[in-house]
Amino acid sequence: MRVLVQFRSSPEVHAATLRGEAMPSFAATTAAPIPGLVIDPAFNPVQVPTPQADEPGASPYLYSPAVSFSMAPEEATYLVRGTLPDDPDGQRLALAEAFARPEVVGVFSDPVISTCLVCPGAPAVGNDQDVTAQLGVKALADAGLDGYRVPVVIVDTGVNLAHLESRGRHPRFSRQRSWAPAGVATRPGQHPVGHGTMCAYDVGIAAPKATLVDHALLLSETPGETSMSGLLSDAVLSYSRLLAMVQAMPAGRRSLVVNNSWGMFSPTWDFPVGHPGNYSDNPAHPFNVIVASLEAAGADILFAAGNCGRDCPDGRCRFGTARPICGANSHPSVLSVAGVDTRRRRVGYSSQGPGRLDPDKPDLSAYTHFKGSGVYPADGGTSAACPVAAGVVAAVREKYPSSVLSPAELRALLRKTALDLGGTGFDHDFGWGVVDGAALAEALGGVKRSRRR
Amino acid sequence: MARVMVTLRLAPEQATLEEVRRLLGLVPEEVDPAFGLVNISPAERLYTILVDETAAHRIADADPVEGVYANPRIEPFGPPEDEPG
Repeated sequence: MRVLVQFRSSPEVHAATLRGEAMPSFAATTAAPIPGLVIDPAFNPVQVPTPQADEPGASPYLYSPAVSFSMAPEEATYLVRGTLPDDPDGQRLALAEAFARPEVVGVFSDPVISTCLVCPGAPAVGNDQDVTAQLGVKALADAGLDGYRVPVVIVDTGVNLAHLESRGRHPRFSRQRSWAPAGVATRPGQHPVGHGTMCAYDVGIAAPKATLVDHALLLSETPGETSMSGLLSDAVLSYSRLLAMVQAMPAGRRSLVVNNSWGMFSPTWDFPVGHPGNYSDNPAHPFNVIVASLEAAGADILFAAGNCGRDCPDGRCRFGTARPICGANSHPSVLSVAGVDTRRRRVGYSSQGPGRLDPDKPDLSAYTHFKGSGVYPADGGTSAACPVAAGVVAAVREKYPSSVLSPAELRALLRKTALDLGGTGFDHDFGWGVVDGAALAEALGGVKRSRRR
Repeated sequence: MARVMVTLRLAPEQATLEEVRRLLGLVPEEVDPAFGLVNISPAERLYTILVDETAAHRIADADPVEGVYANPRIEPFGPPEDEPG
């Protein structure tokens, strides 16, 4: 185990440090070597300023009220790097020996620290094959779960099937169920290659046989919009069609997975929080109502958590210090998906909870920022994490329709089987952890299947 | 002019756009016909229409109106951008 050992000063140590000498001068200041502690000779001792509380009796380590720092040799301490035995007994003995020495101030862990989190513009980390392996797709497939004929709606900028074919994806496609707002010139499945096509590709990682449904609402021609945006009213129209679609399915065979890799970047287009017409914090907003209706009818709804993480937010984020997971992205009836890279590190732009409608957001994480669809250098953003998770949901729905496993039950199972990351249990960075197809397939072993297929 | 969503609780016989316009005294230009009348919660008999903001404020206190709501802009979440877009 790597440790940092803090020693009290001595004139010899101070002089050796000033000369840039690490060892053996420093080691010579201890009366005898500490059994079990191996000091790293390559690490120059570092002088640590000593905090001193300005108020008598106050702790200098609270840093409030004000403290000052002394670099006086007789008050300063020094850090050296070393190792302790890895076995617990050896570790205990070495620590006991160290703390018995008057010259030792403390022994501290020296954890591995990583390079920077993945941020916007960073190169891809791994590829979709890595995601396939990490996600446990084989275990899902071995359980007969590959999303066969499960409709997955890509509510986005439109899907381009020719691009998917060129990248080795051969999904089923439902033109009849697809939709775009009035004025969109291109046809379902033939929209320009872009964000929606990336999402469609990433659904195929876990659900290659799902049936894609294209709702190209972000191609809205509403005046004043950019070419990649829409209005929430377009989403209301999309969801009204989805509600009719799911209600038309036989009650015992309902399955509809809805992927939403979009949301609001700025609260300025919304009514302020507290206003009765507000969207971000208001479950009575019509879109939040229709989301609840669609879920109650048996649909699985997934929303990207957003790209306004504190470490390196997307340049379009305008939430400041306010909670960025808002509106339907924070709805209690949806699965809010955060992003991790294929090393299972949170991407720095992934929005953190608490959510506005439901504080326990995000629900879980899925993989993003990998080389995949070829639409972008990296399938990035929580935009890519969301369809990766949606593919897992679609895979499950092949054998477990919502009459067997309700959307709420499936969300609970996904949370329960997620591979825990970050702190123990739920946290606002990763949710309950990263989606784990293998653990999910195992847990589903105890759930009665539908005889469909 | 900006349009907002107005939520209405309607009886089955009221659930057409024409009947809603008549009930609320809205002229055709004030209502988005392409959006129409959308059932957002069949169980609650809740519907929504897209209306000019000024008209929405005029009808806000009418009997079937449940609320007037924002229609914010939405965008894809990725790939993330370095600089302000």
